[in-house]
Amino acid sequence: MASPRCDTSSRRSAADVADRRLGWLLLAPALLLLGGLTVYPAIWVIWLSLQYRVPVFGIARWAGAAHYAFLTVDSRFWNAAGVTALFTVASVALESILGLAMALALRGQQRGRRVAVALLLLAWALPSVVTAKMFEWLYHPSGGLVNFLLGGRAVNWLGDPALALPSLVLADVWRTTPFVALLCYARLLTIPAELYEAAEVDGAAGVQAFARITWPLVRPILLVALLFRTLDALRAFDIMFVLTGGGPAGSTETLTVYAYRALFQTLQIGFGSAIGVVVFVLVMLVAWAYLRLINRQEAAA
Amino acid sequence: MRGGRLRDALVLAALALYAAPFFWQALTSVRPDAELLPLASLLPGRLTAVHYEVVLAKSLMPRALLNSLGVALISTALAVGLGALAGYALVRLPVPGRGPILLAMIAATAFPQIATVSPLYLLMRTLGLRDTWLALILANASFALPLVIWLLAGFIREIPRALEEAAATDGADRMATLYWVILPLVAPGAASAALLAFLFSWNEFLFAYSFTATEASRTVPVALALFPGVFEVPWGDIAAASLLASLPPVLIVVGFQRYLVRGLLAGALRE
Amino acid sequence: MAPRPARAALLVAGLLLALLAAGCGQGPSGAGPITLVFKHAKILGPADPVPGLLRRFEAEHPGVRVHSEALTWSSDEQHQFYVINLEGGSPPFDVMMLDVIWVPEFARAGWILDLTAQVPPAECDAHFASAIEPATQDGRLWALPWFMNVGLLYYRKDLLAKYGLAPPETYDELARQVRLIQAGERDPRLDGYLWQGKQYEGGMVNVLEALWANGTRVIDERGRPFPEPERAREALAALRGLIESGVSPPWVTAADEELTRRPFGDGRAIFLRGWPYALDLFELPDSRVRQRVGVAPMPRLAHGPVGAASTGGAHLAVSARTRHPALAVELVRFLTSDVAQRAMTEGAALRPSRPALYHDAQLIARDPTLPALLPLILRGHPRPITPYYLMLSTTLQPEFSAVLVGRKSPARAVQDGIAQVRHLEQALGR
Repeated sequence: MASPRCDTSSRRSAADVADRRLGWLLLAPALLLLGGLTVYPAIWVIWLSLQYRVPVFGIARWAGAAHYAFLTVDSRFWNAAGVTALFTVASVALESILGLAMALALRGQQRGRRVAVALLLLAWALPSVVTAKMFEWLYHPSGGLVNFLLGGRAVNWLGDPALALPSLVLADVWRTTPFVALLCYARLLTIPAELYEAAEVDGAAGVQAFARITWPLVRPILLVALLFRTLDALRAFDIMFVLTGGGPAGSTETLTVYAYRALFQTLQIGFGSAIGVVVFVLVMLVAWAYLRLINRQEAAA
Repeated sequence: MRGGRLRDALVLAALALYAAPFFWQALTSVRPDAELLPLASLLPGRLTAVHYEVVLAKSLMPRALLNSLGVALISTALAVGLGALAGYALVRLPVPGRGPILLAMIAATAFPQIATVSPLYLLMRTLGLRDTWLALILANASFALPLVIWLLAGFIREIPRALEEAAATDGADRMATLYWVILPLVAPGAASAALLAFLFSWNEFLFAYSFTATEASRTVPVALALFPGVFEVPWGDIAAASLLASLPPVLIVVGFQRYLVRGLLAGALRE
Repeated sequence: MAPRPARAALLVAGLLLALLAAGCGQGPSGAGPITLVFKHAKILGPADPVPGLLRRFEAEHPGVRVHSEALTWSSDEQHQFYVINLEGGSPPFDVMMLDVIWVPEFARAGWILDLTAQVPPAECDAHFASAIEPATQDGRLWALPWFMNVGLLYYRKDLLAKYGLAPPETYDELARQVRLIQAGERDPRLDGYLWQGKQYEGGMVNVLEALWANGTRVIDERGRPFPEPERAREALAALRGLIESGVSPPWVTAADEELTRRPFGDGRAIFLRGWPYALDLFELPDSRVRQRVGVAPMPRLAHGPVGAASTGGAHLAVSARTRHPALAVELVRFLTSDVAQRAMTEGAALRPSRPALYHDAQLIARDPTLPALLPLILRGHPRPITPYYLMLSTTLQPEFSAVLVGRKSPARAVQDGIAQVRHLEQALGR
């Protein structure tokens, strides 16, 4: 720690002040950028949601809570909320199970680890638009690999309202499972082999070893991964917009796609902002709930 | 670990199968048009480079690749540059309120893009920045900044204070310490943060789609999403364009895997 | 001796500056002769008549060059392009090709020039009324029609003749004919009636035509949505019924013009709702349905008229920020003139917006279907003429699409549609 000094009060506070000033100086550019382009817009969007704003026709006047009032009775909004919830729950559930399974399978890997991780991360690293186009082609009724492997049946994966959402979920799960898998894999690697050996000696192996050793140690990181993935799924836009455009007939229209259409298709900046604010609040609430859960888990552990 | 080699090979095969959609797209990009619709066989009868020719010579992709590269590199540099300074300040300097500021950063990583896109659109419109690199650079850097700061703060915190104090007793002031001691040590972590920021910017779609109107200013994801098809959708060309769009991400995953993984894990494991 | 981070930073900075320079390297074009920029979608067909026409204009106006720039293919993208550029302030074009439904919107937004003073009434009268009307707003003329479209019912002459049928006048008759022919032909790949049910502007057109065929509209003069909700419900139910009964295959709900034209052109459908351009493609030498395609007016439902088809087409307008207004207007008048439209009809798969040309012997010699098209165009009418048409359309499209795929009942869709339109009108302050 700090070596003993003689009279330091005045010297220390002078250094302190200089440090504080330097701190602000170093922090300022980042805060400026963030403040201007992330925080300010986050506040501005609330202001916009309380207005009727259609820039093309020069409309800009106060609306109060009119947009929010409309949303409560808007069937399209509730449909979008339902689609968002369904998409999020299904994606996150599938990713966790699949990701954990992958991590367990990878754990014992001796050779080719780098190749394995590379193959895994490929899906995650691709731009979501690339993934969307890729799956659009895979799902194509006559040219797609999926129907080809099914023996040539012309199933309309993206055009049938009953099939579109599951198809979308599958595409998103493919893209994001590697993230969960990687996190779990890293955690599994830190579990010492001795623990398993000791368990084997005690007569517990396989499923029991999993339940007693692996699961408690992996659960916290899985929860963190779920947090990230849930927030990402709630905010997801690219993949559903490019893959299905929210169709057919709104069966894959999430809140984000509805907001986008309101903003840039019908050019209602005020109304679209209201939907955006709803997404914002939803994401923040979910984040807060998750963090509380994680904290409680840590406190219990 | 018995039966290790066979098991390892099986796992690798399974993962290769997992990545099959990408390989299928690569195959599609060299399959002649006549064999695309309807699909008759898994392997193409012959290979063709015509899709790549079309994409490179007649489409907007080359320009889009340049746009994406420029925007991604500059916004990454901006985010990491500002992020390193800010991270150091938050971790090592007695800035009042740094706890809440760091907390606010973490909260900012959860902001949905769809919420900030409308005010940003109006802002860019007012400032006349539509169709410019600057708009995307600022938006991307700002969006990546919270995560970058969070990562770098964590990495800097790991550097033993003793090193800084040694430099201080050697007569170096804060800035010099930052430059000569901290930055070289945090460089690998900064590389991880930079890779994540680059990937985010390269893949970013919503802002790029909303802030650009003309074809010449599109980035790769937008150009791919709006790939023109006069009568029919040119799946072969789109596949070729997709492969080109995937080059930097694939290079990063294959070549800089270690840094990427470190960045991903650090972001998630940091409590 | 700079440490490694510094050298790396310098290298990166240098690279970035180079990239920045490359990115900003789009200098403005130099001065010289007066250049007009004409923005339009690529004209398809055997030959593109536009370059020839532009050269002719240049020859008649020495010192003027007209630079032609292509628009993207998709109508939605074109609109987005225009909105973003025109809103921005200084659009880099002078004359633009617009879908007719955008003209009132652009006029209200102040983006296009008022042409009333420069275009004599006689010139307006030379065009179809259903083409001039949508280009008029507040009694002023804002664009001139370039080419004309109308919805047509295509049918297989040979199949109908084989079973002794005349083109159907009602949807019920159409369904009956489809069932009869399908039973007789026993070809599982022969579809009945193909139309555009995808969720886009084309789908909206199809639904509008069904509404008009039942004697109702989507919005009345005062802006009230669905003034006759019961008839609207019936029309939507009729369209959904086509799919449920198998008269139309289920994939029409994801089909646009091209996805329906091709199967019909391959001989795999009995009826098709399409635009006139398809006719030229059906009559190509290598077409499988050559000489076997007829056109008829759109059928009606219980309460409406026969032939209630949507007109459409492209118009030419002048950007309000152009630096050469007089010249730009002249270009517009030239391209929509008798001479130019004649060249366009001869060269491309386009139909003129001037009724007189449909009786022109020279044109008829090349395209004998022109006289038959004239009454069909005269019976058609334009989509709602309001600056807010696109907003209306994109608001209602999801409701209609939900009915077509069976996710919503027609009654519910009409109800929700009314609520959505009222909310929209609230925002617009009407």
